[in-house]
Amino acid sequence: MERVLLLLPTTTYRTQAFLDAARRLGVQVVCASEQPSTFETLAPDGLLTLDFHDLDAAGDQVRRVAIRRPIHAVVGVDDLTSVAAAAIADRLGLPANPVAAVAATRNKRIMREQLGKAGVPIPRFQSVDLAGDLDLAARRAEYPCVLKPLSLSASRGVIRADTPGEFVMAARRIEGILRQAGDPSQELLAEEFLTGFEVALEGLLIRGSLEVLALFDKPDPLDGPFFEETIYVTPSRLPPVVQEQISAVTARATTALGLRDGPIHAELRVNEGGPWVLEVAARSIGGLCSRVLRFGPGIMLEELILSHALGRPLSAIERDRRPAGVMMIPIPRPGRLRGVEGQAAARSVSFVEDVVVSAHLNQELVPLPEGWQYLGFIFARADTPAAVEDALREAHRRLHFEID
Amino acid sequence: MSTDLKTRVQELIDTMINPAVAGHGGYVDLVDVRDTTVYLQMGGGCQGCGAADITLKAGIERLIKEEIPEVAEVLDTTDHASGANPYYTAGKA
Repeated sequence: MERVLLLLPTTTYRTQAFLDAARRLGVQVVCASEQPSTFETLAPDGLLTLDFHDLDAAGDQVRRVAIRRPIHAVVGVDDLTSVAAAAIADRLGLPANPVAAVAATRNKRIMREQLGKAGVPIPRFQSVDLAGDLDLAARRAEYPCVLKPLSLSASRGVIRADTPGEFVMAARRIEGILRQAGDPSQELLAEEFLTGFEVALEGLLIRGSLEVLALFDKPDPLDGPFFEETIYVTPSRLPPVVQEQISAVTARATTALGLRDGPIHAELRVNEGGPWVLEVAARSIGGLCSRVLRFGPGIMLEELILSHALGRPLSAIERDRRPAGVMMIPIPRPGRLRGVEGQAAARSVSFVEDVVVSAHLNQELVPLPEGWQYLGFIFARADTPAAVEDALREAHRRLHFEID
Repeated sequence: MSTDLKTRVQELIDTMINPAVAGHGGYVDLVDVRDTTVYLQMGGGCQGCGAADITLKAGIERLIKEEIPEVAEVLDTTDHASGANPYYTAGKA
């Protein structure tokens, strides 16, 4: 039986989806987390503790395991594990993206530099040294601009600044966020704020060729000062020629970064100048959002990813074309979650498939830019993207979160 | 057979599974065994834990099937959304 090593941080939302996919594919799983499982001594063949930041040690450890029982694929499910997955696969002699290519996606400055060199359209940017003269950096910046940490995800620490004063305040705030996240980096990125419409592209690279699995519109304006993603709807309502431009630019970006295989999740802004690449991540869509994507008869995204990683032939990847969408429920205010009302009413909205509150009772809710957790998700599927969006918004309106 | 299976699964929970998850403040209750399917409920630190699926699939289910091969499936009936003190909480990464 084929065995796949899944790198599953204890904080990931993706575990169930990937384990279910492995079960449906008849594949045995070795689960590796950064913290020991309570069952590690009872199930040493199936559970590993790895330091995802120590690539050599992780690679050595897995290699010793694989000598006893071969591993046929390594998949990292999140940003946190993408580089480790590439490194471990390389150590095992398995097909994978070059480690340097994946590492570039984990550092926004390096990514921008590589994309810029290749002529991929990106926002103008400058590096900001937190230990340097922030007032000088602020005076030199163009406005409006967006400050962001190099390696955090999902808009954590991303702040718009319209004046030098806001620039310095944002930089100090991000410094605090980095400290809280245990990130020792003293460098930020300050980039021009691009007007326009934002989209997310979910793709699968197959020997260097980009297969676009879905293009999501983000209908809520993302103008700052913080950039909380809320609604994703697919298929996109942008004109086909614009969608083709988005696909083409994303393909150029993946090539420029040296990525060749596996899932990618790209964020782009689209305006009168065309599509601009904000980010390319060498992993699939985050949170529970992949639930909206279906391929063929009930095949989920994670099955495609695992099948590809195992080198199994993929028949024509045809996504279920019925419009679908997800809302990442925004955190309305900070505080402790004491209760959620209206879930049944939200689920009863036409076209709503499910409502999942992923935050737990008594959890401290922290909004962006400091926040790093989702409150929950709403899923919908309908005959038109507009109906999907309406259903998501109506369901959200019916939810009431008790926060104190 | 179901009664016998239930007894054996319960013994495994008591002697191996719960002592293991207790380290993270968790516990597992046997809800039922129907035919060859085991229904469990997780509580304490396991309820709502970000690693609950790993614990269940790669730990608990694997152990049960190895020790009691007649078991075909282990299903989790836990209301994880109501977990108030999960050991690990999920986050964007």
